Amino acid sequence: MYERYRIETSPIKLASTQIGKFDIIRKDNCLNCGQCISHCIYDVHRRDEKDHRKMAEPVSHLCKNCFACVQNCPGQALEMVRNEEFESLGDAYWTPPIIHAIWKEAEEGKIPVYGAGYRGRFKGSGFDAIWTDMSEIVRPTRDGIHSREYIATAVDVGRKPSWIIDFENLDLPRFHEIQIPMLFEADPLGIRAKNIILAVVRAAHELGTLAYVDFENSFDELEPYIKSVVLRSPLDRIFQTDPALLRKASFVELTLPESHPADELEGVLTRLKSHNPALLVSLGLSSHLFTEELFRLVEESLVDVLNLSADHHGQCSGGEMFITDSTRKLHLNLVKRHIRDGITLLGKGGIAAAEHVPKLIICGTDAAVLDYSLMVALGCRMCEECRIKDCPAGLPGLDSEAAEQRIINLACAWRDQLLEILSAMGIRDVRRLRGEVGRAMFYEEIERESFGFIFEERYLFK
Amino acid sequence: MKAIEPIPCSTRYRSEIGKYQVSLTADCFHCGVCIEACPSGVLERKEGFNYVAALNSARCQGPLCQAGSFSCTTRCPVDAIKIDLAPQWKALGDFRWTPDLIITTWQQAETGEIPLGNLEYRVGGSGGGFDCFEFALDNPGSVPFSEIEKISTSICLNRRGEGRSLEIPIPWYGAGMSFGSVSLPTMLSRARAAKTWQTFTSTGEGGYPEELVPYKDHVITQIATGLFGVREETIQRAPIIEFKYAQGAKPGLGGHLLGDKNTPAVARKREAIPWTSLFSPFPFHSVYSVEDHKKHIDWVKTIHPDALISVKVSTPSDVDMVAVGSYYAGANIINLDGGYGGTGAAPEIAKKNIAMPIEYAITKVHRFLVEEGIRDEIVLLASGGIRTAHDIAKSIALGADGVIIGTSELVALGCVRCGNCESGRGCPRGIATTDSELDQLIDPEWGAQRIINLYAAWQKQLRLLLYQVGLKDIKGLRGRTDLLRYTNGR
Repeated sequence: MYERYRIETSPIKLASTQIGKFDIIRKDNCLNCGQCISHCIYDVHRRDEKDHRKMAEPVSHLCKNCFACVQNCPGQALEMVRNEEFESLGDAYWTPPIIHAIWKEAEEGKIPVYGAGYRGRFKGSGFDAIWTDMSEIVRPTRDGIHSREYIATAVDVGRKPSWIIDFENLDLPRFHEIQIPMLFEADPLGIRAKNIILAVVRAAHELGTLAYVDFENSFDELEPYIKSVVLRSPLDRIFQTDPALLRKASFVELTLPESHPADELEGVLTRLKSHNPALLVSLGLSSHLFTEELFRLVEESLVDVLNLSADHHGQCSGGEMFITDSTRKLHLNLVKRHIRDGITLLGKGGIAAAEHVPKLIICGTDAAVLDYSLMVALGCRMCEECRIKDCPAGLPGLDSEAAEQRIINLACAWRDQLLEILSAMGIRDVRRLRGEVGRAMFYEEIERESFGFIFEERYLFK
Repeated sequence: MKAIEPIPCSTRYRSEIGKYQVSLTADCFHCGVCIEACPSGVLERKEGFNYVAALNSARCQGPLCQAGSFSCTTRCPVDAIKIDLAPQWKALGDFRWTPDLIITTWQQAETGEIPLGNLEYRVGGSGGGFDCFEFALDNPGSVPFSEIEKISTSICLNRRGEGRSLEIPIPWYGAGMSFGSVSLPTMLSRARAAKTWQTFTSTGEGGYPEELVPYKDHVITQIATGLFGVREETIQRAPIIEFKYAQGAKPGLGGHLLGDKNTPAVARKREAIPWTSLFSPFPFHSVYSVEDHKKHIDWVKTIHPDALISVKVSTPSDVDMVAVGSYYAGANIINLDGGYGGTGAAPEIAKKNIAMPIEYAITKVHRFLVEEGIRDEIVLLASGGIRTAHDIAKSIALGADGVIIGTSELVALGCVRCGNCESGRGCPRGIATTDSELDQLIDPEWGAQRIINLYAAWQKQLRLLLYQVGLKDIKGLRGRTDLLRYTNGR
């Protein structure tokens, strides 16, 4: 029987993520009058359990910044300050609000809904310089989020023939249909924690998508989920991996070293395909400088997927270009050569919020690869301390099933938000969104269009 | 209309938040010199007490007054007064509504005057749009200062040359906020203020509470996609009918009222089941073309021939076409609602990412309507991210006739923009709540005066601005982009 794709969420809290944005400080001049108890509707203020004449320490992480207790205090004995622990989360890209949003999404599996309008900057760089469009009156829009209409989020990863050459000898499409346009990176932090890798792979399996695992990080417990795994190896070491594992693999990715002999890549690809013609092969690119060799390999069907990677701030080639700009460039290049529809283009790096997925797809990819955001869902604070010592959020000791549920919750929240964006645009299939820059507004273009005639250009973009 | 004088209307809190915190050190011997010195009344000796206390830190103007002879710190014989930044000032506000903007809006609602002191009351800190340009104030001297009170700030809401004429003395009215999203006392405060100022407020999409009927000549009612609480008599009551196609904070997503706030009273008005989440669909499923849209307008005109029609749309890239379509369908007012506008509940993802900010949409639509030759037959109002009098003036200079105000009115009532309006008991400050206990926190008379005062302060600022650019009438400001200067957020 036909069943609509849906994701089962289940709320799950992590102790390591209970960090409030604000601290309420009760000063010494508190009269213990208890006014704050009646003014707080979030239960921050309570009387001391042991001695009811006194007030207990405020439970700051429940505070929602309403100031009612501070303003109603008869003795000016309460102060609200920003919580330093919260403010020190992450970095300039993975800001505290971004980390906090992922924590909440992974905890509840729901779309974050709040009152009051937008609170952030007018625009930013990268993803924050893009607005998505919507349909007003004249284009039919869709109502996907309340399930009154169905919006498809499945995409095909792999190769499709552009046209039929020989009816006698049909070249069957080789692709893997994933149910959400998001693939997972199992160990972006490089901490090789089996519980985490297993959690990511099982979540990918459950959600009907794929997870990237390095050959050397593979272990026996992954065996039942091997169809949901993309095994990855550096180009020069692919044939040094376990041959049994390579035989089982249905999808591999080769990462390219800085430089390699011109014919080496082609040799490896030919050998891989001759071993297993059904094997899907992805090339992991880390530079926005695309060579002619690359396009020739795509044309000759030796490569099925291109996966363009940026660093954790979305920067390609050491900061020369933002991921959306490189994917746009690569996408257009493939379109110009008439080979775009045959293959799949993925982008990875810097995807830190739900809106980044549709924005990346608008900039030419078929789907996005989530890396650090999955770790943040598990409590990671993007502090990079794991590179020198133990993880402060205790990732390696996390229960694998709890971790899996957190990732599923995050995926559900992000998919639902993708549905919101698609329904606002009136698009019924995420595959239609690919490269649709007409359904987006880019800061520089729109600033020039609206303000260029008022202010001189040299002021606008300095 | 005769001038409206503000009546001072102080805060409803005992420990108001300000930018500065004044404290007295142990050296203080309570001589009281500071009490006499301070022009703002920060320090006080309560009757029956011997000691001096800084009871009203929130009124302190900060280090600015240290140059004057009335500075408490210079007058204090023992250097016992300390002025620091208040710790809660840093916990208040955000990029769009900076702590300065929130506090100065409170000040304006309290006094009805242009804020003094060194708090920034004109722009926020968002680093773009309105916060990136200002007026070049090189007064050409064509208006004498003595005639500043005569500068006109009125606009006309019907320019079609047929139907009733309607003029408001200030170039703004209140935005749609439904019963359900905000409390009844909040709606009453807004309606009373609208009546005093001879402008309008809107019921939003949530029915027309009977309590608003005494103000009916100043209440717009909304027909939105859920048709909640829309009845023939509510349409016949309203001088302006607003079709809400979309809302800036959640364009393309319809309306949201989460179950917690849908109390039996709210549900009755909306003819819905209590405690269920109510989602207005998107779009009007009966409107997929300009012709369908015209049919909608004709339907309202049949029920209430005298009504003016306003069409509220958000700001997609083809908003200029939508505006022209609305004009040909017979609308009197196009209300562009920008992406950064307020809401009682919206998905976070929609607030920033879908549709363009209002600053871009105004110029786009204004110029397109001019090219089409219909600009002078339609009233273009902007909303969604208009926070201050300066934002109003900038919107008009970019090409709007006037604006529609939402969040600022709530801030005047004491909103801190904590963003917890959507669920649970709603607003802990009694504004955007339906809780029968919390909604008692606002007294409509107090609330109305706060909004009246804010309007008065804004009108003064607009007149001052017009005087400084040499204009006698705000209608002359429309489209005067030549008066603007880029600052890049300073």
